[in-house]
Amino acid sequence: MVLLSGYASAHEWTPTYPKLEYSFLNNIMVTKMNLYNNRKDVEYYEVSVYDKDWIPIKFSVGEGKIVHVSYLERKSVDVYIRKKDERRVVYVCSQSKSRVGEKGVTFLSSRICSKIK
Amino acid sequence: MFKQALIASTMFLTFNALAQSEVPITGNVASKCVITTDTPGVYGQPTTNVLSTNPQDGGVTPIVRYDIIEADAYKAQISYPNAFTSSPVLNDVVNWAGAVEVSEVSNSEMAAFETNKIEWDNVTEFDLTLAGSVWFKIDSIADYGYEKSFPGGIYRASVLAECIAK
Repeated sequence: MVLLSGYASAHEWTPTYPKLEYSFLNNIMVTKMNLYNNRKDVEYYEVSVYDKDWIPIKFSVGEGKIVHVSYLERKSVDVYIRKKDERRVVYVCSQSKSRVGEKGVTFLSSRICSKIK
Repeated sequence: MFKQALIASTMFLTFNALAQSEVPITGNVASKCVITTDTPGVYGQPTTNVLSTNPQDGGVTPIVRYDIIEADAYKAQISYPNAFTSSPVLNDVVNWAGAVEVSEVSNSEMAAFETNKIEWDNVTEFDLTLAGSVWFKIDSIADYGYEKSFPGGIYRASVLAECIAK
């Protein structure tokens, strides 16, 4: 009766202070983030966006809000936000996800949040 | 004349070889926070109704490391478990307890992280005011019902380690 697993492994989400820029779409802003997965036990990360009170804000990511990043892979993630939400957006986060029922399920869920300034 | 030409060509070849051996190295040090699972946690079972990560109870305390590149850019929030992510069917309440503490630091001044930490619910917040590496240990205890035995099976729980830009 026991459990839990993990490895000496890391999660990076940069830059710390990203900026919103105009995208190629009307009334849509974009911020370019970089995700680096050095966790053998994790393949998926969920992107989320919040205002200053941690209320979720609608956004879109090209390949979906759950991003697949292989071990030791570095991926550029474009986060699209509506122009009308430009002033509300504060936190852009990524959080590691584990698969239900997967052998050696992650004991540590890591979340890193960058801040729009 | 021939000797002079030979010396000149040798010097040119040597210089050329030296010039070609100069490989530029560039680097970019950017502000960032890196979260690393240093030691995975394991629950031990000191009694039939308790699961604990305390080594004295047969468990292994999970340890997470934060690498901080720029001082005063992030705060850490670490949450010990308050539910199982998977377990056998449980018919009674599980009472959760835990604690998060600084276990090691790369700079002795980081001891202030522990002194100034803020706790609420199952969350502990540390203001990462100094650059370097800091290790946090997370204790977790699950107590089932009123001295009830946990049903046999695999129990999993999750620690949430967050790094939030200030």
